[in-house]
Amino acid sequence: MEANELISTVQSLEPAATLRDKVDRPAMSVPKESVPALMRRLRDEPALSFDMLCAHTAIDWHNENRIELVYQLYSTKHRHYLAVFVSLLRDMPVVTSVSDVWRIAEWQEREVYDMFGVLYRSHPDLRRILLDDDWKGFPLRKDYKDEFMLEAPK
Amino acid sequence: MGLITEKLPGIIEPVPGGSVLLSSMDAVINWARSNSLWPLTFGTSCCAIEVMMASGAARHDLARFGAEVTRPSPRQADLLVIAGTIVRKMAPRLKLLYEQMAEPRYVIATGSCAISGGPFIYNNYSTVRGADEIIPVDVYVPGCPPRPEGFFYGILQLQRLIREGESIRRPGERRKPVLAALPAGITLDQIQAELRELLESKAQVKLGASATAGRG
Ligand code: SF4
Repeated sequence: MEANELISTVQSLEPAATLRDKVDRPAMSVPKESVPALMRRLRDEPALSFDMLCAHTAIDWHNENRIELVYQLYSTKHRHYLAVFVSLLRDMPVVTSVSDVWRIAEWQEREVYDMFGVLYRSHPDLRRILLDDDWKGFPLRKDYKDEFMLEAPK
Repeated sequence: MGLITEKLPGIIEPVPGGSVLLSSMDAVINWARSNSLWPLTFGTSCCAIEVMMASGAARHDLARFGAEVTRPSPRQADLLVIAGTIVRKMAPRLKLLYEQMAEPRYVIATGSCAISGGPFIYNNYSTVRGADEIIPVDVYVPGCPPRPEGFFYGILQLQRLIREGESIRRPGERRKPVLAALPAGITLDQIQAELRELLESKAQVKLGASATAGRG
């Protein structure tokens, strides 16, 4: 599907979705309330059929006090991409899991939890995945510090 | 081998001429050891591609130095090439692997990561700042990643260290590591001048002499 067509289809599914500029592939920001329902429709709508979650990660905008989730979607049927951005409050980053839409999301969400401390509602097994189980803090947050870390000399 | 290295020194040493015999045995044993290093396949990140794969492949051919028999088990290996970043979660495993290797065992740290933490030294929550914080390292090969030639130079240094180093009288004692760091107060110009001098003096090669000298 062409980019314009893709964007208007997504907007017809979710009117609150806004287009992001300065990206090389179609990218939309959507409100966090719409996440599980919209994602399921993105997968199931025959014209879209985003059947693959290539990557799920997060960006820590700590100056603006928000964490932005990124879902990179791909359709193996139509061969088109879509990036979905969801903005969360940094102090209370809670969103509903999409692990029942794409199974792979289960581990990718565990990694985002591990690194950014995003909490996923109705995730089947939200544990740390890379770091030790008793690790304190979330190291990819920009203000993370621990006693092992070495500060760069000024 | 165990009999020779453990029992023999005590028996032969008191005999007249025994220490001479022991020294020549040292030379033979060290020569054998240095030419049959069996590395452990242990690559943790990008350096592994250069050091383990490119060096072992046909173009560079690690087999020329007798070190191509990579083993996936530490019990059959005697050279641990730390090729890549060591993270804090990996550190206990690295130590375990090292301890499982049979004596005498040698360690080469390749790449900035294994030497000092390299590109990840500051503001990083995971990277160990140098493999020598965990296990003793014999030879450091600098680079990010080192070229296969650099790694071969490291292996040759290790072979030199093995040949000159250990004695069966005092197993486990080695010469100091061949350090990659430059002594303080040396400038680039001095290095270049010295290299130029070396290259010019080595520019003339007597073919007959160099063929035998190269065998070492
Ligand atoms: S030294 Fe460079 S090439 Fe080697 S593991 Fe570290 S980052 Fe990778």
